[in-house]
Amino acid sequence: MSSTIAESSNGAESVVLDLHKKFIETSQSGPDILALNRKALDQFAKLKFPHRKHEMYTFVNTKDITGAPFSLKTKSSSPQEFVKQHVYAGCEHSHLTLVNGILCSELSDATALGTAVMVGSLTDAVKDEPIKTALQESIEQENDVFASINSAFMTQGIMIRVGKDKQIEAPLQILNISTGGESGPVMTVPRIYVHLEPLSELKIIVKYVGEEGNYFVNSVQDMVVEENASLTHIQVQADSTDAWHFSKNRVHLKRDSCYRGYQATNGARLVRHHNEAWLSEPGAGLELSGVSVLVDDEQSHQFIRVHHEVEHCTSQQRFKNIINHRARASFDGTVVVNKGAQLTNSDQLINNLMLSDEGHADCKPNLMIFADDVKCAHGATVGQLDEGQLFYLRTRGLSEAVAKEILTQSFASSIIQEIPFAPVIEELNQTLLKKLKAN
Amino acid sequence: MLEIKDLHAGFEETEILKGISLSINKGETHAIMGPNGSGKSTLAKILSGHPAYEVFSGEVVFEGKNLLELSAEDRSLAGVFMGFQYPVEIPGVNNAEFLRMAYNARLVNEGKDEVDPLDFDDILQEKMNLLGMENKYKERNCNDGFSGGEKKKNEILQMAILKPALSVLDETDSGLDIDALRVVANGVNKLNNEDNALILITHYQRLLDYIKPDFVHVLSHGKIIKSGGKELAHELEAQGYDWLTTTN
Repeated sequence: MSSTIAESSNGAESVVLDLHKKFIETSQSGPDILALNRKALDQFAKLKFPHRKHEMYTFVNTKDITGAPFSLKTKSSSPQEFVKQHVYAGCEHSHLTLVNGILCSELSDATALGTAVMVGSLTDAVKDEPIKTALQESIEQENDVFASINSAFMTQGIMIRVGKDKQIEAPLQILNISTGGESGPVMTVPRIYVHLEPLSELKIIVKYVGEEGNYFVNSVQDMVVEENASLTHIQVQADSTDAWHFSKNRVHLKRDSCYRGYQATNGARLVRHHNEAWLSEPGAGLELSGVSVLVDDEQSHQFIRVHHEVEHCTSQQRFKNIINHRARASFDGTVVVNKGAQLTNSDQLINNLMLSDEGHADCKPNLMIFADDVKCAHGATVGQLDEGQLFYLRTRGLSEAVAKEILTQSFASSIIQEIPFAPVIEELNQTLLKKLKAN
Repeated sequence: MLEIKDLHAGFEETEILKGISLSINKGETHAIMGPNGSGKSTLAKILSGHPAYEVFSGEVVFEGKNLLELSAEDRSLAGVFMGFQYPVEIPGVNNAEFLRMAYNARLVNEGKDEVDPLDFDDILQEKMNLLGMENKYKERNCNDGFSGGEKKKNEILQMAILKPALSVLDETDSGLDIDALRVVANGVNKLNNEDNALILITHYQRLLDYIKPDFVHVLSHGKIIKSGGKELAHELEAQGYDWLTTTN
């Protein structure tokens, strides 16, 4: 029980345990969700906050978060205008808005999705025994302490389920708005569960924005992609500059299914993405790419585990970081090829572009291979703008500043241009340019 | 138009150009020839403002301005164009977009309004038609994956768009087959007129069969050891550089 853990714990963990006690007392969730909340808190108490040498947090300093007296926020509305501003063209009738992690139906419009997509809450989701079991298992096996905090405090969340053989044309946007805290930092725990039945297709764009700063988005997304189904998942982190943003994605891929993930990080005080994927049946394919644009003291960290559990699966990772001023980025990615996962094809490439002398990039591409007939590649680079290219552009009458902008954009373009949703490409190009110009 | 007076320059602390003087007027084409290591490319880099090269003494005056005081971009805006021996690949930057940015930079410098992509497309198409270039030069990224010949053609396209008063083409003929050489040379000839001038830097006389120079200068060990008319190039081709370096 949480109270016993609370008594035996001290330090930073006790802040979470105390907060959880109050949360449980006032929570209006049903018994199934509350049981999951308690189970997750037990896991949290086992895992504890990471110390500096923790394998998962080697490059991430979490002390600002673990020591902060976060509160939870129940406010669940936001000005209509603010929402409108952040809904992408093409998603006017296919967006769900979460305010501080809570679905806000008057700010959502999913009419374009039709009946092929079931949108519900986690309370609906756990009525389905297999989903409930899957959630329970994932909570029990959780390895990331912040994701276990999400589960401990999750309430309604969103469940999205696409029916068998339904290809959804309208892109679905999930807009996460954090409203920040007037009196001290606030934690929000958006939780999304996506399930694609066999042969179905869906494109989701998840965007994170803040009305003001001083908040910690601690988000978890579970995705199950069944046989021959295809999920495109675009995440745009555009929080307030002084926000903390942690997100964990769990992706389960079945036979001949496909997951394409794109993560754009526009910078904040501290951003950490944790992606974990299981390619558990032959023919599954995963593509994961991301771009971060960091200035001042912003930080962005990627932690990735891809598990090739069976034969004939492919995975590809491409990440690029643009680092200016004193910003920091890290990449810690491991591909695990299990015994028997023959004919795995996997590659991983990380490129860092340093625009200042004070910036910092850490890279740890890693392979763990237990099969003997596989093709796995990985690579990492850290470099600066090419002097030859800069000079070439300048001899065409372009100023040094413009030449640097062009080359920086060109560095990011191989990731940005690949994103299969034009409004996000346009937005990212503009954000990148704005950040470069402002500095 | 361009007056080079007793130019001493080099790379880091090594003097490569050891007193070059050259006078170029409107409407003239000058060929600068010479063996490997004679300083031809250094001269091109000095004129274009390459930051790694240093001027020790001497003057370069372009249309009344001290060229050596100008940055690489200001030299371009003033009307000097550098055709690279090895044009740089810029992946991720569309060639047409790049050309438009360069064109607009010049317009803004002249106090004019920029052109939008649609209007620029007409300008670009006209130049491409003039040079007989295919649409792929618009669609692809700047020099990215271009063959040697395509890169050189793209340099000439840039020259056509920017309409410089003075073009310095550094070994534009190197790495080109006969057909590509002809296309490039025809392009340069079409752009040549009474108001602009051209410096051709080359190893071989072959290019000069297509682009007729008014003057030929032979560079050796950082100095111009002989100047003459286009017949000088033929003599060099027949007798080799040794003929000059041993007799002078």
